[in-house]
Amino acid sequence: MEFRVDFFLRIVMDIFYYGINIGFYSLIFMHTDLLGGWSMDEMFIFMSGFLVIDAISMTVFANNLWMLPTFINRGELDYYLTRPVSSLFFLSFRDFAADSFVNLVMAFSIMVWAIVRYPEPLSLHAVAAYVMLILCGAMLRYFVRMLFIIPTFWLHSVRGFEMIFFYMNRFIERPDRIFYGWVRVILTSVLPFGLMASFPARLLLDGFESLTLLHFAIIFILFYFAVTRLWKIGLRAYSSASS
Amino acid sequence: MISVDKVCKTFRVHKKEPGLINSIKSLFVRNWQENKALKEVSLQVNEGEIVGLVGANGAGKTTLVKILSGIIHPDSGSVDVLGFNPWHRKSAYRKQIALVMGQKAQLWWDLPAADCFLLLREIYQIPQEQYNKNLSFLSETLNVEKQMHVQIRRLSLGERMKMELIATLLHNPRVVFFDEPTIGLDLTAQRAIRQFILEYRQAHNPAMIITSHYMEDIEKLCKRIVVLRNGAIVFDGKLNDIVHHFTTYKIVSATLKEGKEVSEFTLPKELGSIIKGEKGSVRIKARRESLAEAASFLLNQLPVNDITIQEEDISTIIEKVIREG
Repeated sequence: MEFRVDFFLRIVMDIFYYGINIGFYSLIFMHTDLLGGWSMDEMFIFMSGFLVIDAISMTVFANNLWMLPTFINRGELDYYLTRPVSSLFFLSFRDFAADSFVNLVMAFSIMVWAIVRYPEPLSLHAVAAYVMLILCGAMLRYFVRMLFIIPTFWLHSVRGFEMIFFYMNRFIERPDRIFYGWVRVILTSVLPFGLMASFPARLLLDGFESLTLLHFAIIFILFYFAVTRLWKIGLRAYSSASS
Repeated sequence: MISVDKVCKTFRVHKKEPGLINSIKSLFVRNWQENKALKEVSLQVNEGEIVGLVGANGAGKTTLVKILSGIIHPDSGSVDVLGFNPWHRKSAYRKQIALVMGQKAQLWWDLPAADCFLLLREIYQIPQEQYNKNLSFLSETLNVEKQMHVQIRRLSLGERMKMELIATLLHNPRVVFFDEPTIGLDLTAQRAIRQFILEYRQAHNPAMIITSHYMEDIEKLCKRIVVLRNGAIVFDGKLNDIVHHFTTYKIVSATLKEGKEVSEFTLPKELGSIIKGEKGSVRIKARRESLAEAASFLLNQLPVNDITIQEEDISTIIEKVIREG
């Protein structure tokens, strides 16, 4: 918030982003009743989920992860590695984008709006579980992003990986059930973009399915361990840079 | 307190010839070059000791400091600091060490120093009372109380370095690594920082390792120096001993009566050599073992008014050792 013009401009840009998403789905449902098995009311709840994931990513992780490859290459991890806290935690959460925090409030407001306007009754427990799963979805997106960044320790440039990540990131905004066969398997396992917002919405809207929750939990835990392990291995290859 | 045993570190560097064709070639064929940064380095440092680590650029000083602070991993050998392997980076270890790098900022650029210190208080879990006491001691000693609420990026280099020192020492570290702490500073700031380091040692008695290219830092702060050349230790001992270890000469200067000429004066080779001879004075480099004969020869051959015998300048000797051994 040190720079006021930048602060307000970024808020305006993100309002556009939310408006475009709501407009886009409203437009699609002028031509169809169902998308991926969901009605427009259901789709708004799903949409609010990925908007919250996006807002969390922008507020908490974006600035930090954007700079991470540069930090690794320029030897700027040095001080983070000497502090008595987890370096992965410190580097991932060090810069809180306060200007995006307003967007986080807006995204949660859209979620409240989507849930309130939903015609069927939703229990408070189910809504609380949905919010929790969306938060886990945001963490899962962070884990995947990190897996695309950590190879910087060996490759020094991961721009190609980052482009792949951002192309794949679009799949968060699509219900997983619109995909079939091996594409769906990949999107719900190896590259779990189809799982981050879709599975929480399915558990809220289609009724509780223990297998869906188990699937989500296993992928979450596996990716957590993969990131923490790979980070440690990466640090062994960290050569710093001459001062 | 610090024990390093036969530590080796090699960096593998991709070497590319200049030009577009070579850039394309390097996409398919890579030339790797191995740089041996440290070769079987061993040393011990005790509590309260300030050790000066000197060497030319690329000698391995910073690599050794980074290994000791747990930033990079050695290829072989063992390191023990305060009973910990630095590479395991245990929190209990990291709470007891500190690192200052003159060329790298650790403070958050857009925040005032006071906010940075609050953040560090949380990170190191420093009790409030200790934090207040340390902060007032450090800021008063370094005379930066008035700059505490100014954004780091708006401070002068000297002020920023002082803030870096405060950030480093807030948690009372038992081991401190200084990597070129006075680089780029003016003489007044250099002097202030050297004075501060000595006062801090007096008050807290930590083990300190200092690397610097400024010989004045080393001379003023360290009783012991370790000289690294091409990744290997070539000298480890008292600062004064380096003179005896690496110089076989002393400098004898004489002023002559009535401004006599010395053009015809010659010194036998076995006694030393003439550095400078001009009207009214002469300077010779005399062999240590034949110093008395050289002085006596000078007194006999020339109308000497005054004579002084000096060691070679320590910084000159260190620089010579760094370069050629």
